[in-house]
Amino acid sequence: MSFVYEEIIHGYPKEKRYTLAILQDIQKRNGFIPREAMEYLSQYLGLPVSNIYSIATFYKALSLKPKGKHIIKVCSGTACHIRGSGTIKEELLELLGIKPGETSEDGLFSVEVVNCLGACALAPVVVIDDKYYGNMTKDKVKSVIDQYKEERVHG
Amino acid sequence: MKLKIDGIICEGREGETLMEVAKRHGIHIPSLCYRKGFEGLARCRLCLVEVKEGSRRRIVSSCVYPIKENIEVTVTTDEIQRMRKNIIMLLLLKAPNNSYINKLAEEYKVAAPERYMNPLDDENCILCGLCVKACEKMGTNAISFVNRGIYKKVSTPYDDASKDCIGCGACAEVCPTNAILVEDNEGKRKIWNREFNMVKCSLCGSYFATEEAYKLMQEKLNDNEEPICNECRKKIAADKLKESFANIY
Repeated sequence: MSFVYEEIIHGYPKEKRYTLAILQDIQKRNGFIPREAMEYLSQYLGLPVSNIYSIATFYKALSLKPKGKHIIKVCSGTACHIRGSGTIKEELLELLGIKPGETSEDGLFSVEVVNCLGACALAPVVVIDDKYYGNMTKDKVKSVIDQYKEERVHG
Repeated sequence: MKLKIDGIICEGREGETLMEVAKRHGIHIPSLCYRKGFEGLARCRLCLVEVKEGSRRRIVSSCVYPIKENIEVTVTTDEIQRMRKNIIMLLLLKAPNNSYINKLAEEYKVAAPERYMNPLDDENCILCGLCVKACEKMGTNAISFVNRGIYKKVSTPYDDASKDCIGCGACAEVCPTNAILVEDNEGKRKIWNREFNMVKCSLCGSYFATEEAYKLMQEKLNDNEEPICNECRKKIAADKLKESFANIY
């Protein structure tokens, strides 16, 4: 599978102010920002690679390493913390055998620990891709992960 | 435009910063990230001063504050001294073993709380960004700030040897804490994970610049002469001056 970042980049005007928008677009469609894309973008915008790299490493939404197929966000905000998000996080990380910010070996899941998802009423909450899973328990974590592993959840 | 700094009447042009005016009048304002010829970065915050404009008083960073008519500036008040001490304390925690920061701390009688101090920390960089600015001014743009928060640092993309770097050493030259490592050894220079070949001075034979930096210099100056190092250039200029004066008498 080859990813055509040239196409995305050429969809934008040659102006410095589109740097972040282009990077976000590449991130969205490719899951991460490849080094070659950054170099190509630097040529296209006439911007030093160092500047683009600086932006790409500054924003948490942009990733330099390939992300998993599903992005799991575990909330560790106040409400979730109080309702036991700590144990949910531990269970999840143990299940996948990774640390926060990493991607599981099968390339299916990336885990991010975030500070609030704005769904405190559902605490403790876990978001997978764009789907919210509220009132999580240890057992629920396992069954939800299994569902994704068997690809029973789509979209 | 007239203004008063520590009671001294100073003259400045519109658009000049307080720091520039003070420097020209020989008034010292402490700073780490200010360098003549560079626009102020306002990162180190040591150059805080108090500005009195009419009945309003406020504290500003003198390296970025454009002067105004009739303002009265005090470089050091008790409040500012306290602020500077706090800033130096934080810098000391950031670079606990840096000799320059330690000297500064000694001068201001600042000690960092031991429980926050890591005596083994060999960090020297205070993230002022002067090196990034210098690299930008050279037109090379090889280094930039990378990451953020506690992981923020200055580096080349992917920490690799940058193909944009010319090894000029401008970054190390401007660094207030001497945090950038330049290793010159037998005609080779190592900087930012890249090795450069150096050019010999055609007169004294000492290595003085990398091939890449020398090439850029030649292009900029449109100069095709034999490579001559700074010391020899100074000597030539001095000799010329001496000669021209010798003919007067």
